[in-house]
Amino acid sequence: MDCRKFLELISEAVDDRLQSDLKHQFSHHANICLPCRNEYEVDRITKSIVRATVHRREVPSELYYAVLTEVQKSQSSQRSWLEVIFGEAFLNPAVALVALIMVAVGAVSLLQRENAVPISADKNIIAQSINNFSATMAGVLKPTFISHDPGDVKDYLAKDTPFEVDVAALSGCDWCGGVLSSFNGVKLAHVVYKIGGEGLLYVYQVDINEAMHGTRISLPENAKASLAKTGWYFEQTPDKCNVVLWKHKNTLCAAVSMIEREKMVALLSEKGPW
Amino acid sequence: MLAFFLAIISSTKGLHKEFEREAIPHMDILYNYALRMTGNADDARDLLQETFLKAYRFWDKYEKGTNVRAWLFRIMKNTYINLYRKAVKEPDTVDYNDIQNFYNIIRENSADANDLQEKLFGHLLDDDVTKALESLPEEFRTVVILCDIEGLTYEEIAEFVECPVGTVRSRLHRGRKLLYAKLFEYAKKRGFVGKD
Repeated sequence: MDCRKFLELISEAVDDRLQSDLKHQFSHHANICLPCRNEYEVDRITKSIVRATVHRREVPSELYYAVLTEVQKSQSSQRSWLEVIFGEAFLNPAVALVALIMVAVGAVSLLQRENAVPISADKNIIAQSINNFSATMAGVLKPTFISHDPGDVKDYLAKDTPFEVDVAALSGCDWCGGVLSSFNGVKLAHVVYKIGGEGLLYVYQVDINEAMHGTRISLPENAKASLAKTGWYFEQTPDKCNVVLWKHKNTLCAAVSMIEREKMVALLSEKGPW
Repeated sequence: MLAFFLAIISSTKGLHKEFEREAIPHMDILYNYALRMTGNADDARDLLQETFLKAYRFWDKYEKGTNVRAWLFRIMKNTYINLYRKAVKEPDTVDYNDIQNFYNIIRENSADANDLQEKLFGHLLDDDVTKALESLPEEFRTVVILCDIEGLTYEEIAEFVECPVGTVRSRLHRGRKLLYAKLFEYAKKRGFVGKD
């Protein structure tokens, strides 16, 4: 191998792409030609520094949701264009019917993501809720369905849950999303609300009988007692996460957020389940 | 007519679902590329949003079954060029003559390999490397980012940047050389490499 060929193959050698015979010729040349070896070393060291120093980052959850919201908005504006056509053709009753169907279709989107909910190691519902809230903030737990209309999210989740899912129109809510999963064979529904200016509110939902009496998931005794007595339970984690539990028909809901306790309670009280 | 409008509606909705299923999962890799290209989180954010909006707008132009990541990547690259090409800060860019001199020195002083030790760069930070990457001309920066940070194969990079594999190979070599010179400069400034 001559110097010209050696220089041509430096990248391939650094990235370990050379076949064994070429590799052999390459190292032979490197051993006898110092300038070439130095040039190879430069590339090798550079790659190694970059790999050791630069770390890949996850999209911040707030940016992930901002992109989704922008795309949703852009979808709405495309729909307006269609509505213009329908508006001009209002004399045709068939078109009016189609327009109605279209409105009913709504600003709905389906996101098919695998492993949308991380698997928790802890049976405790409160611990799971807090973990899932962190995962939501980190962008790891992502809704598979997002809409501006809570009713759409409720319909989406209701299709596959044995309990009554609680999705409400919270004041100041930009959009909400939902995703389903199961833990130890117990079906779970997760709802995420984006509250403008306040951040994200996560709600874990599960069959109340499983929560209160089941063995596959668990709830601390003091939370059970409080729920049985008053219908709700409140807890604050050391890092100022607020957790609110309440009953909704045959469902136990556990909301987690960084929103201040008073604001969070006010927000959830508006819908008045408890 | 009814069928026509129904077809428009269902195709709009279908396209949207398809977009979110196919394109959204690539947000992480595009975000990292945007970060390395722009060098700061604010610009990376704008670039990422602009890219996905454009991709959504032109989703019907995407050829089904081809590499969606490469398609998104090209949109991001073109968006980046349009948004930032004029704003590139001249003082930070690499001077080719300096690099050439540096290389001649390395090849000539081949007996002294003191400057070719990985440990000399051990104290460089993510920010230093990011800054050094930023200073590379775009065509070299892209291949180095995709290969050394994102770990893509040469074939994938070739598809991304729409050039032959041989070009990827030579750009990588030149890109890494340029980067080394810049890193050497930083290490020297920080006093990790002895001044001669």
